[in-house]
Amino acid sequence: MSDRTLFQSPISRRQALAIFGIGAATATLAACAPTGTGAAGGPAATAGTGSFAPTDFKFSSWSLTEEAAAPAIKSLLSGYSGKEDVTIEEVSFPYNEYFNQLMLQVRGGQFTGAAHVDVAWLGSLAALGKLQDVSALTADRGYTESSLKAAQFEGTQYAFPWTIGAIGLVTNSEILGKAGVDAEDFPTTIDDFEAALVKLKGLGGGLIPYAASTKAAQLKDILIWMQTFGSPLVKNGTVTIGDDASVEAVAWYKGLYDQGLIAADVDRFDARSLFAQGRAALYDDAPVGRGAVTKESPDPDLASKLVPVSRPTLKAGDTPRALVWGGAIAVVSGAGAETAADFGQWATSDLDTVLADYELRGLPPVTEEALSSDVVASDVFGSTFAERITKTATSNPFWVYPQYAQIETTIAEAVQAVLIGQKSPEDAMKSAGEAAQKLIG
Amino acid sequence: MTLETDLPTAAPIAPVADTAGTGVQDASRRTRRPSKPNALRSERPGVRFAAWAAVIVCGGFALLPVYWLLATSLTPRTEVFAYPPQFFPSTVSWEAYESLFTNPTLFNYLRNSIIVSVITAVLSVLVSAYMGYAFSKFRYTGRRALMYFVLSSQMFPQALLLVTLYSVFAAYGLLNTYTALVLSFTTFTLPLCVWMLKGFFDTIPDELIEAARVDGASRLRIIHSIVLPLSAPGLVAAGLFAFVRGWNDFIFALTLAGPDKQTLPPGLVNTYIGEASTAWPELMAASLVVSLPVAIAFISLQRFLVGGLTAGAVKG
Amino acid sequence: MTTTAPSSQLSTTSNKPKRLSDGVFAFLLVLPGLALLLAVVVYPLITALVTAFFKQSLVLPGREFVGFQNIIDVLTGEFSRLLWQTLVFTIGTTLFPFVIGFALALALNTRIRGAKVLRGLMLIPWLVPGVVVSFLWMWIFNANYGVMNALLEGIGLIDQPQAWLAQPATAMGAVILAKTWQSFPWMMVMLLAGLQTVPRELHEAAEIDGAGTIRRFFSITVPQLKGIIGLVLLLEFIWNFQHFDIIYVLTGGGPAGSTQTFATAVYETAFHGFDLGHAGAIGLLWMVLLMALVVVYVRFSEKGEER
Repeated sequence: MSDRTLFQSPISRRQALAIFGIGAATATLAACAPTGTGAAGGPAATAGTGSFAPTDFKFSSWSLTEEAAAPAIKSLLSGYSGKEDVTIEEVSFPYNEYFNQLMLQVRGGQFTGAAHVDVAWLGSLAALGKLQDVSALTADRGYTESSLKAAQFEGTQYAFPWTIGAIGLVTNSEILGKAGVDAEDFPTTIDDFEAALVKLKGLGGGLIPYAASTKAAQLKDILIWMQTFGSPLVKNGTVTIGDDASVEAVAWYKGLYDQGLIAADVDRFDARSLFAQGRAALYDDAPVGRGAVTKESPDPDLASKLVPVSRPTLKAGDTPRALVWGGAIAVVSGAGAETAADFGQWATSDLDTVLADYELRGLPPVTEEALSSDVVASDVFGSTFAERITKTATSNPFWVYPQYAQIETTIAEAVQAVLIGQKSPEDAMKSAGEAAQKLIG
Repeated sequence: MTLETDLPTAAPIAPVADTAGTGVQDASRRTRRPSKPNALRSERPGVRFAAWAAVIVCGGFALLPVYWLLATSLTPRTEVFAYPPQFFPSTVSWEAYESLFTNPTLFNYLRNSIIVSVITAVLSVLVSAYMGYAFSKFRYTGRRALMYFVLSSQMFPQALLLVTLYSVFAAYGLLNTYTALVLSFTTFTLPLCVWMLKGFFDTIPDELIEAARVDGASRLRIIHSIVLPLSAPGLVAAGLFAFVRGWNDFIFALTLAGPDKQTLPPGLVNTYIGEASTAWPELMAASLVVSLPVAIAFISLQRFLVGGLTAGAVKG
Repeated sequence: MTTTAPSSQLSTTSNKPKRLSDGVFAFLLVLPGLALLLAVVVYPLITALVTAFFKQSLVLPGREFVGFQNIIDVLTGEFSRLLWQTLVFTIGTTLFPFVIGFALALALNTRIRGAKVLRGLMLIPWLVPGVVVSFLWMWIFNANYGVMNALLEGIGLIDQPQAWLAQPATAMGAVILAKTWQSFPWMMVMLLAGLQTVPRELHEAAEIDGAGTIRRFFSITVPQLKGIIGLVLLLEFIWNFQHFDIIYVLTGGGPAGSTQTFATAVYETAFHGFDLGHAGAIGLLWMVLLMALVVVYVRFSEKGEER
């Protein structure tokens, strides 16, 4: 009788070959098939300013399905589609996957129209050769110079700036006060900053003084500290990570980590939750975080205790560093692009539209007119944030490289290896710098 | 030792009566399994104790996270990040559940998930039934090579297929359709389903098929009116496994299905894991609500889930 | 008991001339499935593996032949680490669900009260949408507000909150635990199905002969279930070897790449790094590894045959 099973059954070598033989035959077929990705990206098509007949178009955003932001975006879309009598097809992906998915869709030609993008992605998207130059449409619309610059890549206006701000330190003035630190007179040098963190730690109760990012996903926050310590990150196409300043920055970060001044396993979400619960005194965030933080907090007055502060500097008197953060609307050539461009211009610069959006999302607008309007100017948090943080914000020098996401990941993983004690700051930064250099080519 | 005996699915043939016993015609009447369960009449206290200990330890591992899912879904948004967390929420809040019913996109995702998983299950069972039957009851050159190829195809790195699949489906205009998802998941579940069903068909006596043939039934008809009905429990079991594959997938559903056709896993992430915050109570509430119908369906079908495997493939 | 009857006799009785031969008929039956496999698995696989020899970006047009450069990069780079981590993950997520699933199957196969209800309840972890499993465990393991820390602190096992997902050793454990939680129900179902095929008479006879429970377990249950045990272990091994979703969502391969496996590395490299060539090279090595396993397996089983 048979009691054989899969585990005892012998396959002869010939049979094993036969299995893979089928594969090999297909390999030949496959190798002949075209795999190219089409024409190289030429110069950007220019979006025109002349009159046109509005058509249906697609709009993609990660905020379309997100509970907190969706109402603002939806009302924006219905406003435009009502005005021009067109249908806007909505495309949405989760925030963490959005960039990859958008890249895939744009590359494959499945997506054309208006795309909500993070300004960090413009370099990569532009490399696909399908973004339109919208400079003709941004002229004379009252956009601030700095916001226009944030949505440029290699001198070309690849997108309409939409909500441009920065990532900076946000503090809970009440907790700072308890530790004798004045949020309005916040330490300006790194040494004083660290001393203030130690004081905060002294409050006890499991308080995390500074909920800095320590999870790989947001460890790119370390880059701004490297810049603060004096590393340019990239200079004339050469990655400088691994230089003394970057190593010092990482060693300092590791010091904060070891002293418990920053906590393990924290990303932006965690930082916001901890901050909302009053379990962290300060953290890094963009203006977009305010809504989440105040909504999640058991303290109904938290909004009035939020104080943005300038990042401390290595020496007193240096310019505080901050990283440009922001959303923009890019126009992807193809069906509906013309209307999409008109929509982009309208959504980002029409005063009523922008102010209505501001009411709902509270994100910093980009036109002089909107910025000086009562409702925006009277927002203390917003104007303080702009004055102390956004004013000196610069973009990340890696953003100009299409591989920037991978570069950031490489660096973040190296820093993480330092934090968990696998590598020394010197070794980790040296190899991360070399890896980043290799990616840039 | 015949060539047959060393096949992966070779199973000693079950007595005719047993095979028939799992068939639909009397499945409702019979509550016993084809072979009698080995539960002993006289269980000693030691056995009972061990059984309960296993149930408590493993069951705790299984169900405590489910409890935590439930507890979190009932915790107000402002308390959910408190530490230490409350094992029993002091204030029960239904706001997370209320927000579910005002969110139409969620039901869209649920509908997509059910459509994709059900079609995947049906198609997968159909395609693998033909394949399994061809492997079980026919002899021809290359049969074994084919069988091993089918079995080994599930070892290939699926993550690697995504890039090309994306371009292939794009080329045929199948992106953002159910088709792309169904075709992918069906293919990924084929090896297991073929294997399960072949095992099942092996237990169907050749004499039965031969008799039908003598009566003049065509080969297709034999499959449809004799073999498949006899294998109903196996078909259901295979279908349930295929269903779960479609139900659980994240990355293919995210990449190949457009916003309209996205299934629950990417849909839930899309809705609750935002740019600024993660809505834990809502995410947990939504997960529970959408899992419930499937869990109930599975529990009512678990007779098949276990029984469907029994008659066929599982014996070594 | 009979062996599987030689079915070839079926074909010899067919005399009607217009009918297709059985071989052709069988091939037609196989065709739909085969076409799917070729289109959805084999073709994409080959094109992906071919990129291993090119410097090719997911986003930039064009590609350049680089020979074995990508493969050398992988071999001298992350390969050994990935292999080790993949094995740890795969073996862990195969054995733990097996042990838990088997224990539950044995327990629920006795006549304890409520076995049926429990059997149903145990299916829930398997049916919660896959990503939710990751999020749930991420939530449980969270260093700053997770219930795991609270629980362990409560019973005094740890004295301060641990960052489970931020330390390489515990992160791998957490990932394995989450996957275990998801897959033990299916192990339970399969083994329960197997247990119910064990004829009761065998147990009864052994009991009369005075064999204790443990002895009966090893001398009857395990040998009877040999086939199904081997099978579920093999299937789980194959699936876990290429499991993606739970790791990707729970840790993203971190911290510092310590939970990265072949599957997540391939995806990260292709979709986040846009480096198709490198991803293809990882995939190619993965394939070579699997082929090597097949060859070893063939050798092994042929030797077994000779003995």
